[in-house]
Amino acid sequence: MNEPQRTVADEPPPFLGTWKRVYTLVVLYLACVIGLFYWFTKSFAP
Amino acid sequence: MRPLDWVVMFAWLVFLVSYGLWRGRGSGSTQDFMLANKTMPWYAMGLSIIATQASAITFISTTAQAYVDGMRFVQFYFGLPIAMVILSATAVPIFHRAKVYTAYEYLEHRFDAKTRLLVTIVFLISRGLGAGLALSAPAIVLSVVLAWPFRVTILIMGGLVVLYTTLGGIKAVTWADVQQMMVIMLALVIAFGVAISMLPPDVSFLDAVKLAGAAGKLNAVTTTFDWNDRYNIWSGLIGGMFLALAYFGTDQSQVQRYLTGKSIGQSRLGLLLTAMVKVPMQFFILFIGAMVFVVFLFVRPPIVFQPVVMQQVHSSPQYAAIESRYEQAFDQRQAAARGIVSSKAGALEEFRAAQTNLDAARTDALNLNGANDTNYIFLSFVTHYLPVGVVGLLVAVIFTAAMSAISGEINSLATVTVIDIYKRHIAKNSSDKHYLGASRVATVFWGIYAMAFASTATGFGALIEAVNQVGSLFYGGMLGVFVLAFFVKRCTATGAFLGVIAGEAAIFTTARFTSAFLWYNVIGCLVVVAVGWSISLLHPRNN
Repeated sequence: MNEPQRTVADEPPPFLGTWKRVYTLVVLYLACVIGLFYWFTKSFAP
Repeated sequence: MRPLDWVVMFAWLVFLVSYGLWRGRGSGSTQDFMLANKTMPWYAMGLSIIATQASAITFISTTAQAYVDGMRFVQFYFGLPIAMVILSATAVPIFHRAKVYTAYEYLEHRFDAKTRLLVTIVFLISRGLGAGLALSAPAIVLSVVLAWPFRVTILIMGGLVVLYTTLGGIKAVTWADVQQMMVIMLALVIAFGVAISMLPPDVSFLDAVKLAGAAGKLNAVTTTFDWNDRYNIWSGLIGGMFLALAYFGTDQSQVQRYLTGKSIGQSRLGLLLTAMVKVPMQFFILFIGAMVFVVFLFVRPPIVFQPVVMQQVHSSPQYAAIESRYEQAFDQRQAAARGIVSSKAGALEEFRAAQTNLDAARTDALNLNGANDTNYIFLSFVTHYLPVGVVGLLVAVIFTAAMSAISGEINSLATVTVIDIYKRHIAKNSSDKHYLGASRVATVFWGIYAMAFASTATGFGALIEAVNQVGSLFYGGMLGVFVLAFFVKRCTATGAFLGVIAGEAAIFTTARFTSAFLWYNVIGCLVVVAVGWSISLLHPRNN
């Protein structure tokens, strides 16, 4: 049985230059989504 | 289901299985069978992960959760994007560089064989239970809807899964999931469109949202902390993050998906795609459930959604009185709903009183049989109100969504059985061809096991909770040992081993006192790390 062949190079992301910036974008996106849901909940609360 | 629905359903089943087999052709080595020869692009991995998550249970149970309990279940997913970021930065490069087939193989590199074996056994138990549940839960519901015998439904679903997973391996599983995901989105949009089109002419979409809000169904975010409240923003962000870290970071059924990536970057992008899509998608599915609730304010739903139970209840001598109360409460609720739309004073109070009476009548009807019909709410809507052909498509999607979840699970169970048990402890130096054959045999074995387990497991309430509860009993312990492996350099093998045992003991003890299962993952992980670290400090020479 062969050892798995793999590419282990850590290439940069296709946008924003660094992975740190991509991760920050995802976390900010989550914060916006939760903020929107909170507004939605409050707006239509009985 | 009408003839066209049956044609659509079988056409989709045949297409999906054939497509999976075609994409999985030529899996002639273990690396191909288990890791797709490291050829998967990021979007295929991401969609496959989402499709596995969007199982049949998602359709059947999540929509019903919103109908019964409101949208607060969406908070369960709040921690997932954070977990994906953490895993992209840590687990993905570590697993890729460790040159492993399974996550548990890495534990032997880092600790020792006994820790690897312990975690492997924990995985096989938890995922084995999960695979059985993932098959039985939708089979119970689909057998009623399709009027098929329960065991025949299991046999057809399980048999098809075993066929394409055994022949095509992870490639067949992943590419079938990609197709599945696209049709899932189409089916959801159609279901949503039909629900909105069923609103009365004098009730606009905004009125419908207002009504859902008035009924307390749009409670997407709850900021109050309560230890026993399963879903609030805190349990979602913290407990949900730990659950997602454990599921995507230590469960081979998910780790294997991103190990198929062409590179570290492709695997990261696959996980981050899931991070971006999952929360809005769950919100949309729950919102469909809330809209179905609003539709049923104006279109009288059956008093019991489970058709077989409905027939039995109908023949009871008490039924006529209950039905009369139900109809009266329905009419009062509908009038109150129209009052809310026209901003009539006191309409909200009238609505709540009518809802309480309606719920009481429904409970009395269900108590005649002792049944729970939560999982039939959405399917009742689909089969009664969706256009011919679309019903077949939606039932087929639910059918294949179940298959998609199970295929990933039995593929990972087979991989772990061969790599971590068979190759490690039984046949250490055989040929690649031999291990490939063993992988196919293991796939068939786990498929039969899942079918046998599913045949005997019935009677779960809300399916999605049952699945997550079972997982949460084990994930905290598994996550803890990987946290020790990745981040605690001084941790010894003995520390890790005893930490896992202590963590599992802590989880099972906690489960006796609270059913808020998201916290099991946090407690289990923290106990493993604390005990593992402490023992490592006391006995450093074992390292």
